[in-house]
Amino acid sequence: MTLKLNDVTVSRGVGPVISNVTLEVTPGEVTTVVGPNGAGKTSLLESLSGVIGISGGSIELDGVDISKMSRRRRSHAGLAHVQQGRMIFPSLTVKENLQLTASTKADMDGALALFPELEKRLDSATVLLSGGEQQMVVLARAFAAKPKYLLLDEMSLGLAPVVFLRLIPIIEQIAKTGVGVLLVEQFAHLALKIASDSLVITSGHVSYHGPADALLKDPDLLKKAYLG
Amino acid sequence: MWLNNVVAGLTPGATYAIVGVLLTLMSQLTRVVNFAQVAVGMFGGYISLTLVTKMHLPIFVGVIGGILVAALLSALLGWIIATWLAEASTSARSAVTVAALLFLISLAFILFGYRNQPFPTLVAGPMFTLPGGAVVSKVTVLVIGLAIVITVGSWAFLKFTAFGVKLRAVSDRQMAAELLGINVKMLNVSVWSITGAIAGLTVALVGPTASNDYVTVSTLVIPGAAAALVGAFKRMDLALVGGLAIGAIQGLFSGFPNLLIVRDWVPIIFIILFLLWNQRKEVWDVAR
Repeated sequence: MTLKLNDVTVSRGVGPVISNVTLEVTPGEVTTVVGPNGAGKTSLLESLSGVIGISGGSIELDGVDISKMSRRRRSHAGLAHVQQGRMIFPSLTVKENLQLTASTKADMDGALALFPELEKRLDSATVLLSGGEQQMVVLARAFAAKPKYLLLDEMSLGLAPVVFLRLIPIIEQIAKTGVGVLLVEQFAHLALKIASDSLVITSGHVSYHGPADALLKDPDLLKKAYLG
Repeated sequence: MWLNNVVAGLTPGATYAIVGVLLTLMSQLTRVVNFAQVAVGMFGGYISLTLVTKMHLPIFVGVIGGILVAALLSALLGWIIATWLAEASTSARSAVTVAALLFLISLAFILFGYRNQPFPTLVAGPMFTLPGGAVVSKVTVLVIGLAIVITVGSWAFLKFTAFGVKLRAVSDRQMAAELLGINVKMLNVSVWSITGAIAGLTVALVGPTASNDYVTVSTLVIPGAAAALVGAFKRMDLALVGGLAIGAIQGLFSGFPNLLIVRDWVPIIFIILFLLWNQRKEVWDVAR
């Protein structure tokens, strides 16, 4: 029962942006992907959710090959992708945003339990919320879909560090419910702290794959991995 | 006298309003300016005419058949765009509807002939008379009522139903909606088919009251677009008001022989005025 990338290559325009990545995301654990800007981290997540196709290798979700599935079918299979840039639906209220994935009252309550501060903003237009609150809506909406695997792309983008610090324990909490989390993040140290497995990508290649602990404990190893 | 003319202009005005509201819905929900919006209704109208005159079916059966054909044609066009132009620009998607408009007019000439044929009349006669003596027909009341029902109904549907909320989400961010498992293509095709059916119903109602040749009916999309522009292709209520205003002004002008020639320019004047108004800030910025 894992989300598995086997030797995945992703091409965009002139050539590959990700080459031969092999990775396993385990339910209940956080796997962190770090690396410099333009390394191909976002492309990696996009290939998993089907935003872009893969040009080599395969992707398996709990033993089923999903490489050729549509985005919608991948979502129904249990993948939730939180794209970077706070992808709220601006014309919808907070409640309507959550109702898109929360099919029962229990799903809605579960999502709101993660972010109690959203309860008093349920009828507010999402576009009027602060950046941090909008990111909470996006995360709560993804959680309400009851995904097996959650792909989180640069949740800290455009947020004050203090706001992002508020989100980190919640990501950990989501993983504890049995969801496999694949976290792409610029704030490497914060992301590695909650991860068990980690991957460093530079220029589309994996320069380190191993325990997150090892990277945290050995700054030289992280530096070396960043330099490729 | 002038009131009579204004009232007479309300039937075409309400038609423009309906087309304007449909164009607004299409633009907001499917990112298309649908130039074939009325053409599918025109084609449905001629199908119903064929069903009634050639196959001797009752009028209501023929009209329902025509509405279904309009809905199916529109759904087919929507499916083509949703399948092959899902991520194309609004301009590219709208260009396809121009091709569909021309195709449907040509096909109508081939299938239904070159001679004008009157549509079967669904409703006829006066509804009531206003204090000044102006007679309001049943068709006028019905089409204005339909325009209001479509405007309010669409607003309520989008605001209060789960289906409507999904449509708004797709309209906001199609990719993000798809990643949540929403069936974007099915929603898009539904919007196309519903707006096609409404266009078919509108043509069935107003077709018998005016010139119904293929080109005249299909190009009702121009005053419809002028009405939609009043609401900036965003607000259905303003599109409704815009359509009725264009019709009323056209009706008013038809009472003055000297202004008769200007009557057909009214939608174009509305379009130009809107574009000038909309661009006023850009002009100011450039001037600075």
